[in-house]
Amino acid sequence: MEFNVCNKSRKDQPFKQACEQVLEELNCDFVGLALQNSNGPDVSWHYAAGNRNDKYKRITVRYGKGIAGKVISTGRPMGIEDFPNNILGKALEYPIMLAENLSYAFAVPIQFKGVLKGVLLVGNRTKQPISESDQHTILDAAKRLEKELNSSI
Amino acid sequence: MNTQPLKKNISSYIIQTHEEEIKRIAMELHEGVGQSLYSLFTGMQLIEKAIEQPAMKSYAGDMNQLLEKTIQEIRLLAVELHPPTLTTLGLISAMKSYIKLYTSTYGIEVEVENLGVESQISDRDSITLFRVCQEALVNIARYADTMKASIIFKWKKSRLLIMIKDSGKGFEVETAMNKSSGLAAMSERMHLIGGKCTIFSKIDKGTSIEISLPLY
Ligand SMILES: Nc1ncnc2c1ncn2[C@@H]1O[C@H](COP(=O)(O)OP(=O)(O)O)[C@@H](O)[C@H]1O
Ligand SMILES: [Mg+2]
Repeated sequence: MEFNVCNKSRKDQPFKQACEQVLEELNCDFVGLALQNSNGPDVSWHYAAGNRNDKYKRITVRYGKGIAGKVISTGRPMGIEDFPNNILGKALEYPIMLAENLSYAFAVPIQFKGVLKGVLLVGNRTKQPISESDQHTILDAAKRLEKELNSSI
Repeated sequence: MNTQPLKKNISSYIIQTHEEEIKRIAMELHEGVGQSLYSLFTGMQLIEKAIEQPAMKSYAGDMNQLLEKTIQEIRLLAVELHPPTLTTLGLISAMKSYIKLYTSTYGIEVEVENLGVESQISDRDSITLFRVCQEALVNIARYADTMKASIIFKWKKSRLLIMIKDSGKGFEVETAMNKSSGLAAMSERMHLIGGKCTIFSKIDKGTSIEISLPLY
């Protein structure tokens, strides 16, 4: 399936709501959802909640780079603690962390029919780690989103 | 900075060999690895079309998409390392393609203004100017906490002026210069090609980097 950007407003609602729901449930600072575009292989941030600017809208996730790019290339969840300390590579390779001024983040893959189609990312601006139980909540939210994607075709 | 002639030559030599090496890697990525992957991609597309079994067909489709992403990432890496168009199409064209990549990477919009007529500059001068602008823009993405920046090129009869501005966080220039070497390296690199780089910044007001290079 391909995510249709043109036909946005009608299909928008559930995804935007899902982000806001996670934001509220976890009491975190930022939630972002990156999805593969319908026209080509690019993955970009389509929805966010708790964002402090609109930079996310212009960011295309680079394959294998940063937290979202790594989740997409490996297909596995990934966490970041105390950014920009103890990271793999340069701080500049983590655009969403820089754009939203995040210190802690946890990101999980979103799959469709076993193929990776996006990333759900949750982050904090304060020195507030994302607990194990929060990580489970995020994984559950990702599963709900996968169902949503499956039924929205 | 007061560099003696000999030391200046050595610095130039080190930078130049370093740049040639980066250029070689960028070319190899763009024309070597990139081209081979592209041939694989077109071949795989033919194979995908020919496959009739649905599961296999969709598997081939996913592999093609992965190939496409990899080709794209290699192209972007080359632009970051050493834009392939810098020597052929010139500084402005190379900066424009870098800025396009910059905006889609960091979400920061950059307004570009090009005043006057672009004149021919040597490879060594254009790579230096490109690097200094790149460093200024990268600093904005890393530290300025802003959504917008601007870059102005002014081509005059005898000199080229470039101004890179943001209205972000700003910083204490002297303290920053002592803390890290990126800004000092910008000035030093401009100095080595006979140009100048001046840094202005004010906390909560923003930063402005002014570069000038004599043109002959
Ligand atoms: N555009 C900018 N906006 C805000 N702060 C900046 C900007 N450019 C540089 N700085 C500050 O100046 C310091 C030194 O920058 P630089 O010499 O490039 O080193 P580095 O990028 O390695 O930290 C940075 O750590 C940052 O605090
Ligand atoms: Mg720097």
